[in-house]
This record gives sequence, C-alpha cells and structure tokens, in this order.
Amino acid sequence: MNAIRTLIQATMGFFQELGATALFFGRVVRTFRNTQDNFQPILAQVAFVSYRSVSTVLFAGVFVGAILVLQIDLILSKYDAEIFLGGLNTSTVIREVGPLIISFLLAGKIGAFTAAELGTMRVTEQIDAIECLGTNPIHYLVVPRLFGIMISSLILLFIGLIVSVGGAMSVAWFARGINTVEFASSIPKFVSISTFGAALLKALIYGGIVATVSCHRGFTASGGARGVGQAVTQAAIYTNLYILFANFTLSHILDLIEVLANSARGVS
Amino acid sequence: MSIRFDRVSKSFGTKRVLDEVSFDVKTGEILFILGRSGMGKSVTLKQMIGLLKADSGNIFVDDQEVTRLNENQLAGVRQKCGMVFQHPALLDSLTVFENIAFGLKTPQFIKRQGGPLPSEEIQRRVQQKLSLVHLSTDVLERFPSELSYGMQKRVSLARTLAPSPSYLLFDEPTTGLDPITTNAINDLIHDLSKKLQVTSIVVSHDMACALKIADRVLVLDQGKILAHTTRAQLKLSKEPLIRDFLSETLALLPPEERAEARAEVTAT
Repeated sequence: MNAIRTLIQATMGFFQELGATALFFGRVVRTFRNTQDNFQPILAQVAFVSYRSVSTVLFAGVFVGAILVLQIDLILSKYDAEIFLGGLNTSTVIREVGPLIISFLLAGKIGAFTAAELGTMRVTEQIDAIECLGTNPIHYLVVPRLFGIMISSLILLFIGLIVSVGGAMSVAWFARGINTVEFASSIPKFVSISTFGAALLKALIYGGIVATVSCHRGFTASGGARGVGQAVTQAAIYTNLYILFANFTLSHILDLIEVLANSARGVS
Repeated sequence: MSIRFDRVSKSFGTKRVLDEVSFDVKTGEILFILGRSGMGKSVTLKQMIGLLKADSGNIFVDDQEVTRLNENQLAGVRQKCGMVFQHPALLDSLTVFENIAFGLKTPQFIKRQGGPLPSEEIQRRVQQKLSLVHLSTDVLERFPSELSYGMQKRVSLARTLAPSPSYLLFDEPTTGLDPITTNAINDLIHDLSKKLQVTSIVVSHDMACALKIADRVLVLDQGKILAHTTRAQLKLSKEPLIRDFLSETLALLPPEERAEARAEVTAT
C-alpha cells in the first residue's frame, strides 16, 4: 500500500510541478509581450550561453557521431548493408540523439548555473531589491535567460550536428574504410527537410524546458544556501524528466504527422 | 502623507505572525519596529510595498490602499518607498556605480521624471548619494565582492537613496556588522532621515539602537502590538518582554552610562 501511495504522490508531484512550470512560462511570455528593450539582453544571453557551451558541444558531438557510427555499422554489417551507414547515422543524430544530447548538455552546464544564479539572487534578496527599485525582475532577469537559452539551443544543435556528422565520417573512413562520398551518398535517402524541421522543433522545445525549469526553480528558491542547493538539484531532475517525457510525446506526434503526410502523398 | 496599517493579519501555514495589527507612521519620524526573531517585523515591512500580501486588513501608503494594487501600481508605491534589505542585496554582476544608478534608469523612475536623465546628471546623483553615505568615489568602478560587508551596506543605502524616496524602510540594517560599523550605520540612518526629511521605518531587535535614534518605538510580540510609544515612555514600560530587552541592552553599556540608565529605568 505504501509503495502505491508513494507512486501516486510522486506522479501528482510531477504533474503539479509541470503545471507550476507551465504557468511560470506563461508569465514570462506575457512579460515579454508587454515590455520593450528585450532584444539586446537576449542577444547578450545568446552569446554568453553559446560561448560557454560550445566547447562541450564540440567535444560531445564528435564522440556521439563516432560511437553511433561504430554501433550502427556493427548491425548493418550483419546484413551487408553498410551502404546505408551514412544515412542511418545522420538521420539518428538529427532526429533523436542531437537534440537530446544538446538539451542534456545545456541542462548540466547552463540550467544548473541559471538555477544557482537566480536562487542565490532570490535568497540574498537581490530579486526583491530589483522589484523595489521599480523593475520587473521577470523582465530584467528571466526573459533574457529564457529566450537566450532557447535560441542558443538551436545554434548549438547546428554546431553539434556538423561536428557529429564530421566525427562519424572520420571514424567510418579510418575504422571501416568507408570514404566520405560513400558515407554521404545514402544521406538523402534518410534525411529530408522535414527531418531538420523536426530536429529544430525538438531543440527549441527542449531548450525551452531547460530554460523554464531552471529559471522557475531558481526564481522561487527559498531557505538560504540549502534552498539554492535544492533548487539546483530539482532543476536538474525535473529538466531531465520533462525532456524525456517531451521526447516520447514529440517523437510519436512527429511520426504520426510523417505517416499522415506520406499517405496523403500516396493518395494524391 | 503617511503610512497606516489597519487591522492587518498575516499567517504562514498555521503560524499567525500578525493578528489584526493597526498603527500609523507620522511624516518625518523614525519609527522603530522591535521584537524577537520570527515575530513578523520584516513581514510588516514587506507588506508595505507589496512584496508580501496581507491575509486581511488594509495598508495605506499616502492614501493608496496597497493590498488592492496590481503589480504596475505597486511599482509606483515602491518608487516612494526605498527599502534597505537585511543583506546588502547588491547586484553582483554590476559595479558600484551601476548598482547605485540602477534605480535612476528604471521605467517607473523615467516616467516619474518625465524622461530619462542625462548621463552627466546620473553621474552627479550617484556621486552625491555616495558622499551621503561617507564613501569616496574610488569605489565606483569596483564590484560588490571587492568591498567589505559594511561598505556594501553603505552602497546599498546609497542605491536606495538615489531615486529620492519619501520613505526609507530598513530591514535589520545592522545585522552582521561589528559594533563600530553598527554605530556608524545607526548614525547614518538618523542623520539621513533628518537631513533629507524622509520618514523612516527601521525593523530591528537592537534596543540600544532604538533608544538612540527612534522617535517612536513599536514592539511586536506573538502577532500583537505590545507597545507603540516614544523611546522615553518605552523605558518606563512594565511589560516583561520590554524589561528583558532593556536589561539586556543596559548590560552592554559602559559602566557609567549603565548606572545612569539603570537608575532611570528602575525609578519607574
């Protein structure tokens, strides 16, 4: 009975937190729409987030591409289908692995930093001080961070995909003797404009999740240093859970859309 | 022009920190709100500017009913009430100059002024406020982390003074300071209040400070007002808690002053 009760409480907690985060996101969007002079701070955040994360993305991107190409080749070689290695690898990276890895890296590097920064500002009354001086703290602190992280996730995805495919090509060539032309020849069979569209949509949504959850947890932190620590931990846990939940839902929806589009094309 | 509390109540969970509290603050006076920790002193202060909402009752700032104002209207009230927080609450990423100038660039201030201030005027005002808190212009380009805690408190006071508020609210202004700096801050509060002719409300548990600079003292305990009187009358109080506060304070005085003060208190 206790296990069931705990499970119900955990599920309710998950959805309560999801609701609170969604309301916070709505508040930030309303503030963005009702205020001016947002462009420059957002741009500064884009530069800051991208600069801080690019080295990690480059490093992770190369290895993700390399690992995937080895794993996929292992399976394809059983069926003498190595010809499809480039297409399958690139498609997997663009559709699933790229947006997921970028969002997890962002959650670890920028999400934790944002939650800690805002949490510290909250418990040391800096946010109250901003409010008292006649500035909306959502406008001053959260709007630039939220949209900055979302836009950065697109830029980092683009960089990550390039290095990942580059890494995969290099490993395919050196470890499996598949040259660049062979590798690239199967890509158009598996990758289309809609694949890129899906990847961009996922990166934007996952980036939004990282930004909203970390800003929300930091902004509502309380209870001194311990409260900031809890905010960072919760931001990390909830971000990862929501991204996995969103990935599952989005993948199904996008697959469904693709099936419907294909069947419509077939009918016409 | 005054601040008035009318039967204000506030609870946190099951704990009732304010129970139908009513009092007013006269223009130009220094009101000290005294009480033990957790007795609702800071809550009282934060409710005046809408950082916390009262559960019931009315709070008037210059005849504006604070509890019924929306966020935009509250920003106007906050412009009139400069708040000095328990922590210096300076923005870490900004220099001393930028911190003090912060309140001179907010939309509310610009609206009140009828337009943005020229940069030379901002520079002049920042330097003027810095000299009011007895700091030299050498600190202007430094970051808060490069200053001592006492200096940060002074910069925080200068930042609060910059938009020329009508009311100054001090939340535990001397917490964490050594006795010499505490005295200096207390003198500063007194001198600034009189020099700038602003109404000041100081929340503290420092009876010695109250006896030194307060015009009137309000003692809060268990959600109720235990005393609301002048400092001379406070010394005559027979309330056990106030007697305890007084005897603790007397113990800290130098021997000759202690004998004099004890004679004054025991004469009652």
